[in-house]
Amino acid sequence: MGGVRWAGLAFGIAFGFILGWARLTDYDVIHNMLLLREADVFLIMGSGIAVAAIGSRLLRALHLRDLAGGAPVSWSVALLSRDTLIGSMIFGTGWAIACTCPGPVAAQLGRGQWSAVFTASGIMLGVALRAWMLERRKIPHLGSAAPLPAEAQGPCAGL
Amino acid sequence: MEVEVEMADVLTQRAPWFVAGPLLGLIVVGLLWTANKPLGALGGYIQLHDWLRRPSGAPGWRITFLAGVIGGGLLSAWITGGNRMTLAYGSFDSLVGASIPLKALVLAGAGALIGYGARTAGGCTSGHGLCGTSLGSKASLIATMTFMATGILVTQILSRILGGAS
Repeated sequence: MGGVRWAGLAFGIAFGFILGWARLTDYDVIHNMLLLREADVFLIMGSGIAVAAIGSRLLRALHLRDLAGGAPVSWSVALLSRDTLIGSMIFGTGWAIACTCPGPVAAQLGRGQWSAVFTASGIMLGVALRAWMLERRKIPHLGSAAPLPAEAQGPCAGL
Repeated sequence: MEVEVEMADVLTQRAPWFVAGPLLGLIVVGLLWTANKPLGALGGYIQLHDWLRRPSGAPGWRITFLAGVIGGGLLSAWITGGNRMTLAYGSFDSLVGASIPLKALVLAGAGALIGYGARTAGGCTSGHGLCGTSLGSKASLIATMTFMATGILVTQILSRILGGAS
């Protein structure tokens, strides 16, 4: 388990560095993308997805095992639900206002772009609010003691 | 000596998309290969929230990932420059004027929408948009199209309401 934590830390550092270097931490870069004035961020997303799609299939096709645990590289995907759509609309609204999202906010914090303190606090509040609502409705989620249904444990669930 | 100067020039300019995009893709592949885990930033906030409520053992890998992103941001400011050590937030500042309380309120409110919405949707721009989509998740693809379309639409509406300020 230690290896997974170290891998998380190392790739987190790489991720934060690229976000800052590409200035995805700047309000105006994201705002110009959402205004459809600049294609850069779309091209970053598109080329990133293409490389990740090919690379991940390659890992699987070569039957590689992960370095931390030695298990075959694999993943499962989250199921589409009404929540996916409603949640994405709420997320998209907040994204349009703050012109940042959970990854870049953390990189902003590191860069000393202090407005991120407000945004990140808001994200924590939103996450807590959702957890509280799920608990009230007695729906198991990542933070509850009850075991999760299999599909909710899939790697792409709850990211 | 010449090479060093050129290298420094490359690093201090904003990374072009054809460098940043593929590198982000490689980070997804690298995390999958080393840890067998799918990348996503929101999970760090969720794990941190749950861990703060019920501290049990060492913090999970999503928390160390998020801590890494903060460290990576620090490195990027140090090596590549750009906006840093400032409360300024680009042209967002012209919307809220000089009022720091208003800025805090709007950003925290937007943050709450981001956290609540992404938690409900099961992912954010990195988890759904970058990782899930590339791993062939239909839910991620639809989530990404939904928050992209919503983001563009809300931006258009806001820029019309707020006029030239944005």
